[in-house]
Amino acid sequence: MRRSLRQSFGIFISQITKDSMLLVVCIAPILAACFFRFGIPIIEQQLTVYLHEPTILTPYYLLFDLFLSMLTPYMFCFASAMVMLTEYDENMTSYLAVTPIGKKGYMVSRLVFPAAISFLGSVLLLLYFSLTEWSMTMIVLMCLLTSLASIAVALLVFSVSHNRVEGVAMSKLSGLMMLGLPVPFFVLSSAQYLFAFLPSFWIAKLSLEQDLLYFIPALLTSLIWIWLLYRKFERKL
Amino acid sequence: MRIKALLKGDISFQYKYGFYFLYIFFSAIYIGLLFTLPESWRGEAALLMIFTDPAALGLYFMGAIILLEKSERVLDSIAISPVKPVEYVLSKLLSISIISTVVGILIGMAGGVISNVFYFCAGVFLGSFLFSAVGLIIAANIPTLNAFIIATIPASFFISVPAIAYLFGVKKAWMILHPGVSMIELCTSGQNALPALLVLIAWTALLFLLSSQVVRRMLLSVGGVKL
Repeated sequence: MRRSLRQSFGIFISQITKDSMLLVVCIAPILAACFFRFGIPIIEQQLTVYLHEPTILTPYYLLFDLFLSMLTPYMFCFASAMVMLTEYDENMTSYLAVTPIGKKGYMVSRLVFPAAISFLGSVLLLLYFSLTEWSMTMIVLMCLLTSLASIAVALLVFSVSHNRVEGVAMSKLSGLMMLGLPVPFFVLSSAQYLFAFLPSFWIAKLSLEQDLLYFIPALLTSLIWIWLLYRKFERKL
Repeated sequence: MRIKALLKGDISFQYKYGFYFLYIFFSAIYIGLLFTLPESWRGEAALLMIFTDPAALGLYFMGAIILLEKSERVLDSIAISPVKPVEYVLSKLLSISIISTVVGILIGMAGGVISNVFYFCAGVFLGSFLFSAVGLIIAANIPTLNAFIIATIPASFFISVPAIAYLFGVKKAWMILHPGVSMIELCTSGQNALPALLVLIAWTALLFLLSSQVVRRMLLSVGGVKL
């Protein structure tokens, strides 16, 4: 089982290496991190001078960090969802699911492994490129949650669509799963809880209020999404 | 007659795969978002939304459409039918441009940016046609979705960056020679809207011809052999 999982993951890596997606998902978060870390403070400086305001972007530095923590797993899982859609259209998925890899193994090799790798990448980026102060515990918790949320996004793209075209349409729609991140920053009334079904909302709440209690709904919403979508994923194969 | 049948097929394909639903949904979100912005920002924001989404719809979706048609052997049937590459391309680009224009008008109305309906519609329609033609050129020779997405990055960068710069104030008259800038100039019904229309028509025609050539070659080589 372990060997077949490794091989299945190897196929995935060789696919995204061939079409250069691996390079892009590795480089793009680093470029974005550099822009956030060095570009945003410069833009803030220019804006404050230009608009004669003491701060404009500074209150939202944490939001930039949150996007940064989401970016690596989101990109890895997006690449993975695209590979899965191609494999599904070409009937490869059904073949792989009846090999020793099985349905669960297929999901693990296509989503859990990439999410685990991106978890490490995300931790490093937050450690070295964040705009605000983060404790190590918070970094680890946050990256764990963003990795889980990204698995849910990729599962959503793959499970709900019947082919590549629907998959691309879904991937566009799935960007809305990130919508929960800015909500606690901008919607200060209790109307913000309308977004409580989104893991990204609780992730933002956790980082904003630094209350570890929010880890529970953040984890639960991700797991519920994954559980519901995994059932759909199983039926699909 | 053939073009009518092709167009009907493409529109029903896009309807079946949720393009219409998706863009009704996105229009509602964009319009909702516009109303949360201060009134003075709405015009630029609406144009930015139109330019980066409904107008660029073809560039985003063309890879998936062509790859699906390849894997379902639709192109094999097209290749041996009397359909000409030009007709195939025209139908693809027209069907997508219709959605873009309708969504563009809705967002434009909400943002209050439509001062000349003809120029505005021409800008969105031709812009979408152009973006889709670029998407088609890229999609014709691409093996996977990921490769398509990567290949569209430089194209969308080249079209979008000068256009966005122009929208936010880097306004030099010669810039309307750029296809993205000419689209913005048309949609805003700027001083140089008429020359911009001619420039955009020229770019669109050029890319339409190029994409027809690429599709002709693609249809000659489907199924792994050169016909």
